[in-house]
Amino acid sequence: MAHIQLNFYSALLKKNTNVMVFIPSIGPDDYLFGSEEKFNLTNMKYQVLYLLHGSYDDYTSWSRNSKIECYAQEKCLAVVMPSAENSAYLNMYKGEAYQDYIANELPEFLETILPISTRREDSFIAGLSMGGGGAFRFALTFPEKYQAAASLSGGLHMGILKNCTHLDKMPENYMRAVYGDKKYSDVIELLDEVKSEVLPPLYMICGTEDFIFPSNESFYKKALDKKIPITYETARGVHCWDFWDEHIRDVLNWMPLKEQMV
Amino acid sequence: MALLQCNLFSGTLCFGTDINVIIPSPDSDDILHKKNISYFHKGVKFPVLYLLHGAYGDYSDWLRLSKIEAYANEHKMIVIMPSASNSFYQDMEYGSDYETYMTEELPAFAQQMFPMLTDREHTFIGGLSMGGYGALKLAFDNPDKYGACISLSGALDIQGVYEDIREGRMEAPFLWDAIFSDPERIQGSDKDLFELYKIGGEQGCIMPRIFQSCGTEDFIYHSNLGARDRLMEMGADLTYEEHPGIHDWNYWDANIGRAMEWLIYN
Repeated sequence: MAHIQLNFYSALLKKNTNVMVFIPSIGPDDYLFGSEEKFNLTNMKYQVLYLLHGSYDDYTSWSRNSKIECYAQEKCLAVVMPSAENSAYLNMYKGEAYQDYIANELPEFLETILPISTRREDSFIAGLSMGGGGAFRFALTFPEKYQAAASLSGGLHMGILKNCTHLDKMPENYMRAVYGDKKYSDVIELLDEVKSEVLPPLYMICGTEDFIFPSNESFYKKALDKKIPITYETARGVHCWDFWDEHIRDVLNWMPLKEQMV
Repeated sequence: MALLQCNLFSGTLCFGTDINVIIPSPDSDDILHKKNISYFHKGVKFPVLYLLHGAYGDYSDWLRLSKIEAYANEHKMIVIMPSASNSFYQDMEYGSDYETYMTEELPAFAQQMFPMLTDREHTFIGGLSMGGYGALKLAFDNPDKYGACISLSGALDIQGVYEDIREGRMEAPFLWDAIFSDPERIQGSDKDLFELYKIGGEQGCIMPRIFQSCGTEDFIYHSNLGARDRLMEMGADLTYEEHPGIHDWNYWDANIGRAMEWLIYN
């Protein structure tokens, strides 16, 4: 089990950036119980999940707060956890081009230095909260790049929420850098433009006690109206890591993973 | 350049262990000075230098105390820095199989993970002090795997080092009887670099090229001169350098850069 903290210069962000990368390889259980050979395949690559953090978080959050490494090892899946500040995974109005970085530069860079596939059929994307919105935004904007996308407690329709602390406490000057004069840009708006026949299937799950739950209900309803391929689950829970650690497993079980090197 | 701090499970050591890995890639310096960055592309493969720490050290030393990242990017070389505790890079009598980890498991892992050339002509190993000995030991044991090796201020005459420490002339953390089955009889054994070099020659192996450097004020300087002479007598392809300096990071930082230049241009 290779747990890699990668730091490199991103030409798009014009600065160094950190990425947490998990690459399956032998772990204690494989050694103890003799399943080492599945990782010794020369010239093979791994399917990959781009796993996005929420607002106020960064590239360390998923590996610190969940057991994503265990789940990914079971699925023989590489996991790439980048940082995107509070950009909502957009190309900022005045700031870094996080959307292009994650959709384009990062996969190409990783393919050059690590055994990670960039083929659509091997590329998955998911995230929580702002990152759930981000995952759907990537899938809807670059449907040719991802095989499937999932949102956990996603910020999918922020405009419907009243008194959202996550938005209210965000520094105003940062929000201006992301959105310019707009207050924000909602993922749900993208549903007006998409062609459903080319979309990767979407999976969304949200806690029924989560403050962001109404935004998920609203998104799902509109996605159904637009005949988008979407699966929606709800479960008891709030906006917290207990929920995400439990339900990222549902996401991985839903995704059509090969569970072996490719 | 890309820095990868990687934690992996080693089936040889039977515990998790860390490596630092530098992979050349375009950086701010390349942008500012409009350098050619076309070398970095999908499918690129770099030469690789395994770089070993000294006594008391670990995988983080080279990165923290030298400009190894800059040299790696300049010379377009992957650098892999593992940890081996105070083992002298041996399969220990009481302890862990660090030589096996370094020469078999780690290269297999790295070749699968990172974009590196795998032939002996592009595979190098170097180190400082204990790691200087380690680099030559592992290279002489595996002349088919390493094209060249580097010793900076290396503890090359391990019998002499053992005696110096036993007699209290040198400070060291080594548990000699944990590392070696019989520390009194290292000379002439398969832990003795000179014996290993001789055996390799007798077996007709093409032995790795050697770059050896030591500071003239280093406590291990005279021992290095002796080691140089003995290797040269056996016909070693050895480049020797000495510069004013002691057993410290000023010396190793300045001279690992020179050694890497030598790797590339010789």
